[in-house]
Amino acid sequence: MTSPVGRLRRVVGVDVGAALNLVGALLKYFSLAFLFPIAIALGHAETPWPFVVGGAITAGVGLGLERFSHGKEHVGVREGFLVVSLTWLLAAGAVSLPYVLSGESQLDHPVDALFEAMSGMTTSGGSILTDFAAVDRSMMIWRQFSQWIGGMGIVVLALAVLPRLRVGGRQLMEHETPGPDLDPLTTSIRDTARRLWILYVSLTVVLALVLAAFGWTGVDERMGVYEAVSYAFSTLPTGGFAPDPRSVEPFAAASQWVIALFMVIGGINFALLFRAIVRRHPGSIFRDDELRLYLALLAVASAVVTVLIWDAGLQEGEAAVRHAVFQTVSIMTTTGFATTDYAVWQAVAPAAAMLLVALMFAGASAGSTSGSVKVARHLVIGRILRRELDQTVHPEYVAPIRLNRYPIDERMVSAVIAFVLLYIGIFVVGAVLLLLDAHRVSLELSPFEALAASASSLGNVGPAFGFAGPMGSFAPFSDVSKGIMIVLMWIGRLEIVPVAALLTRAYWRA
Amino acid sequence: MKIVVLGAGQVGTTIVEALQSDHEITVVDLDAKRLQALSYRHDVHTVAGNGATRRILLEAGIDRASLMIACTSRDEINLVAAFLVKKISEAQTIVRTTNPEYIEAWQERDIEVDFMVSSELETAYAVSQTIGVPAAKQTDVFADGQVQIVEFDVPREGSADDLTGIPLTEAAEKAAGRVRGGGYDQVVGLPLKRATIPADSKVASIIRGERTLVPRGDESIMPGDRIVVIGSPDAAKEWGRIMARGTQRVDDVVIFGAGGTGLAIARVLLEQGIRVRLIEYDEERAREVADELPGARVYAATGVDPDFLERERIGHASAAVFAMRADSKNLYAAMLAKVHGIGFTIGIVHDDISIEVFERAGIDVAVNPRSVTAEEIVRFAHDPRVRQLAMLEGDRFEILDITVRDSSKLVRRPFKELPMTGSLIGAIVRDGEVIFPHGDSQLEPGDRAIIFTESSRVPEVEKAL
Repeated sequence: MTSPVGRLRRVVGVDVGAALNLVGALLKYFSLAFLFPIAIALGHAETPWPFVVGGAITAGVGLGLERFSHGKEHVGVREGFLVVSLTWLLAAGAVSLPYVLSGESQLDHPVDALFEAMSGMTTSGGSILTDFAAVDRSMMIWRQFSQWIGGMGIVVLALAVLPRLRVGGRQLMEHETPGPDLDPLTTSIRDTARRLWILYVSLTVVLALVLAAFGWTGVDERMGVYEAVSYAFSTLPTGGFAPDPRSVEPFAAASQWVIALFMVIGGINFALLFRAIVRRHPGSIFRDDELRLYLALLAVASAVVTVLIWDAGLQEGEAAVRHAVFQTVSIMTTTGFATTDYAVWQAVAPAAAMLLVALMFAGASAGSTSGSVKVARHLVIGRILRRELDQTVHPEYVAPIRLNRYPIDERMVSAVIAFVLLYIGIFVVGAVLLLLDAHRVSLELSPFEALAASASSLGNVGPAFGFAGPMGSFAPFSDVSKGIMIVLMWIGRLEIVPVAALLTRAYWRA
Repeated sequence: MKIVVLGAGQVGTTIVEALQSDHEITVVDLDAKRLQALSYRHDVHTVAGNGATRRILLEAGIDRASLMIACTSRDEINLVAAFLVKKISEAQTIVRTTNPEYIEAWQERDIEVDFMVSSELETAYAVSQTIGVPAAKQTDVFADGQVQIVEFDVPREGSADDLTGIPLTEAAEKAAGRVRGGGYDQVVGLPLKRATIPADSKVASIIRGERTLVPRGDESIMPGDRIVVIGSPDAAKEWGRIMARGTQRVDDVVIFGAGGTGLAIARVLLEQGIRVRLIEYDEERAREVADELPGARVYAATGVDPDFLERERIGHASAAVFAMRADSKNLYAAMLAKVHGIGFTIGIVHDDISIEVFERAGIDVAVNPRSVTAEEIVRFAHDPRVRQLAMLEGDRFEILDITVRDSSKLVRRPFKELPMTGSLIGAIVRDGEVIFPHGDSQLEPGDRAIIFTESSRVPEVEKAL
């Protein structure tokens, strides 16, 4: 007689215990993040208890998981999918705990709290807050900090964990470049992750210092140390949370330009950045196919948006250029900041609004902190299309798809196609569900706004259009809709495949 | 001189044939039957066994030999043998390889052998010379392709106005710093000193009827002459352009068969800016080659499918190379390609007898990689100091590649002060860089000089340097 559990264990081919064991360990370490807001709260004479309790619960759950399961060293390729998916879900849950415990009426509803937390961890940037002044500073910093950790997380995960999952993030990021000169970061994954960490921290510090200096020198009178740090925390991870309800609008033009620049930097492949800055090969960076297309797309889209909004009479001169560049950069790097309420473009300059939604599908570079499809995949898709057309005329023609002159594996090629198809499919389903749910609760949501909200959530951009625009809030959405968007943000950040794989029978079968 | 040859295949056999009369040769091969056949035909000593072992090498008398030629079909056997010989003997070593990366490493002195030859690369050079410079009759390559010697038949019809009467020296000065030469009319019929010849090149000799001249400045190239030019690859191409007089340059080549040879040919042609299409039967191999050669278009096709040839307009290509494994396949594919309109066909043959068959069948040029390789090795074996030695026009002229000694009397004197000896220094290789000398240039000890001279003067020149 076999027990049901024993039978299940024989049928299931995934070592769930080992996966939970590792998730527990990760969660345990994650609870250390709560120390930062506790310090801020104490410094500002605010209540640290939401963070203390939240941190304790997180640590407890982590320790508990670790205690009641074992074998994290047995986590293999298959368990990795489960580990990544669960870790991100539980980490978002952990981030939401202080919101729930804060007693702040905008945040303490669990769905709202989870939405805000997921939006933070996935560096999306959509918020359910409407009254920013009512929230404690330590709580606002916790929001910003969650984005900073989330941005870090994806890079470290992409480098340290995803390659073991064969998701292709690493392969794409490294562009399949053999040769000693082009592959300097991979003495070991741990080492690579550590170097990228250092780069990430340094860039954040630089931005915070520059912004703070603007404040001290009077270039930007609204920019205090608190603002400088807050914006630095959400700029480099291309997050988009702002401590101000008007996002970056109230700040001086100089600050806006600097933030735009750092968003662009946050959208560059960090391995490439490392080579350019630390190894002093600034020239080599511009030989990269993806970076060139990324910058070219930014330039072209910015120019078009400039013309469109100037023509619509919204802005002119330097302001037109600045607002066009800032909005374009913000959307394409999937940050979600705004210097102007582009939700109003929908009526006045609809082409510009449409272009912004289209850019939500672009994303920045693979291996950066941005979300969405990413330029490298578009590049590969473009080359696949070109080859396909070539082969219809010349059926015998044989050619590899190349990235930076190096051929990429055909398996990789089909993985890219599969990813883009999945991405588009989920985007459409998400938009339809949002529309259906809005209809159910009689919420006024146009199809365009539903498409924008779905694309924005899945691409981890953040704000959408209509009431959920950059200066608006996601609060009017129903709990069901928020749930849908929480899922979209979650799977969008993990690049769909790890989560989608969990839904297949083949994954669980022995 | 005692020579040990490793490998009694086609290359080995050709080498033995060329060298046996003047040298004492020992051939080593695994295959005793092959050795027996060889020893019946030639007066050579044979040793059966693995040449990459110390015991067999010693048995072959390597300790008394002054040269070891490793020309088995396996690279690593050849290399191991050469490394062993370097340790246990004073003999110089020649290694045959199929891998261009070994050649590269050897050129950069990371592989310690005296001379390295690749069948694939030699064949590719041979093909590229025929294709790259269509009017060229016979060509030779020195200093790893940086110096080319090209022979042209000067076309007859052509006005001889501008070229007659320009002295050579003046021409050289005019040419300095300019790659493009003048048109046909600025070159032919003028004294050389006034002719607009391409930079980095020299007219090494003019063959007019029965006479051969090492030209002075007041000599002119006349229609109907055959001229020999020494110069950089660019200059050689430029001469080809001048001499081709508007006949279309080869710029689009189809290669059938993407084996090692086909790949090497494609690589060399791509470097010259020629459009290359490769047709390979094996899909796996086609994919590999496509990965390796971003510049070429690769097709996975048989090459004998008329629909394919028609659809891809193969007949529009200016030349086709047939580098498949079987001679019979090459012959058939070449005939079919001719039917489809290809004008110029080059066949790679693996069997000596095929050369004749190919030529009778109307294939324009047949190249045998093994004999090209053997020739290259024999050139070196003749005199290791004279790295390559080409014979032009029978025995009348020779091109010498000589390393200049410290004690040479000609060192550090401007060229214009050197005595006229009926010889011409066409190019100097110094630290891997090629210099095409002018009147003010000087020779340095250790330079490799590529010298054009009458056969009768070879000893004199060798002594002087």
